[in-house]
Amino acid sequence: MKKLLLAATALALLSSAANAQSIRVGTEGAYAPWNFINEAGELDGYEIDLANAICEHAGIECEVVQNDWESIIPNLLSGNYDVIMAGMSITDERLETINFTQDYYPPDPSLFVATAGAEFDFDNLEGARIAVQGNTIQAAYAEENFADANEILSFATPDQTIADLAAGNVDLILADGSFLQPVVDNSGGAIVFVGPEVMIGGGVGGGVRKEDTELLATLNESLDALKADGTVNQLLAEWYGDDAPAY
Amino acid sequence: MDTDPSLLARLVGEDIAFWFGYFTNGRHMAWYTSFRFTIIAALLGGVLALVFGVLGALLKRSRFLPARLIGGVYTGVVRGVPDVLFFLFFPLVFIQGLELVAAQFVCTPESIEAYQSNWPPCREASLYFSTEQYLVLACFALGIVYGAFVANVIHGAMRAVPSGQLEAARAYGMSEGQVLMRIHIRQMWVYALPGLSNVWMLLIKATALLSLLQINDIVWWAGQLGAPNFLPQVGMVHGDWRWGYYTALFVFYILVTLLSERFFRAVTKRARRGMPVES
Repeated sequence: MKKLLLAATALALLSSAANAQSIRVGTEGAYAPWNFINEAGELDGYEIDLANAICEHAGIECEVVQNDWESIIPNLLSGNYDVIMAGMSITDERLETINFTQDYYPPDPSLFVATAGAEFDFDNLEGARIAVQGNTIQAAYAEENFADANEILSFATPDQTIADLAAGNVDLILADGSFLQPVVDNSGGAIVFVGPEVMIGGGVGGGVRKEDTELLATLNESLDALKADGTVNQLLAEWYGDDAPAY
Repeated sequence: MDTDPSLLARLVGEDIAFWFGYFTNGRHMAWYTSFRFTIIAALLGGVLALVFGVLGALLKRSRFLPARLIGGVYTGVVRGVPDVLFFLFFPLVFIQGLELVAAQFVCTPESIEAYQSNWPPCREASLYFSTEQYLVLACFALGIVYGAFVANVIHGAMRAVPSGQLEAARAYGMSEGQVLMRIHIRQMWVYALPGLSNVWMLLIKATALLSLLQINDIVWWAGQLGAPNFLPQVGMVHGDWRWGYYTALFVFYILVTLLSERFFRAVTKRARRGMPVES
């Protein structure tokens, strides 16, 4: 029995051992236009294109894998993949557990959206149902600033916040402006921006394990080069349209 | 799809061709193929439940007290724990247990020191489970949970076989093994089948929990496909269509239920061959 167990674990270890020449990139696959599953059923989006560009530049093989947002940091730490590229903002709290590359999306204001016609007094917001995605910078911010007088509803995926706003189950969504902008643009006026912009995060970067300093240096080097030759700006314009930020 | 879209459009009209294309795009195909997870989980989980159930029933009938106790604890405790909880608990404990064993062999004090997270002890000991491996774990979780119900059903069914039947068999000179195989278990099915069909229905319903184990199953895909989409880059822009996709799942599960009922009716008929018709 012991032998069998040993053999099983050895096998599992072999199959999970990362090849030095190839890395796995973990993404959520439910956060368009950052990362999502396209009509063809494949992962697509800004971060997928950027990951491929980085790997091509650095001469390493990349495989992009999907992982739920909730367990995305624990599964990085346990080695299921080597880099997180999932629209993750660089925060001090996260820097305690993982390292970040330089940002590949500049600090982005978080915004509120509501259904058209609803009015809110943001100076003393009361009794509103505010939707956020769990474990995000917005969730922490809303918990800290609005939890006393309002109800904070936390959802597993950003899609669900939109669905519940459309269904009237929540009054407001607080999320990244880059995620909400296309939603507002394509909602035909049904969903509108309300209230102030809040700056919460420090830009979006790739997350790596603290001990992988070599990989971090490689990624930063490639990002420097791709920013310098305009590749990053080109991808940003391609995925975020005319109001896209640029480096 | 390889069919020429314009040809299809001419044959059945633009609208139908459009919707046909939409419902056969890659995302939808991924949804259709994800039904295999549910079907495998139901079938393999069902077989395992039967195996665990028979073992549990034999334990409960054992003349050896510790075995009887183990059987009692198994059926008592596992039936009492919510299946969702057990579904989360069993795979987690299994994986962490394997990691603990692995850690004894591959971790050095330095690697433990260097590792940031508090579990597993070191990076080398961390295991990555693929979807297929999670599926097997899910089947075992289903097997263990519903095996406890099956054990109770079979245990009760074996007691329901009239003792006169067994005595008559012994009087004919059958050995204990022959009595068990030819008379006892043979007649037990008649009493067990209604209960087993109930457990099977519960097990079918529990297959909707697969997405809890990071398996992108039919429920997960239904949620993804039905979620409102506001981005032309992602695909067709549409509102909240989850009700439609969930309705499709309702229909699927009801069809499975109807098929199962027919199957159990046929099996019951077969098990009753040559037995007196009950009033």
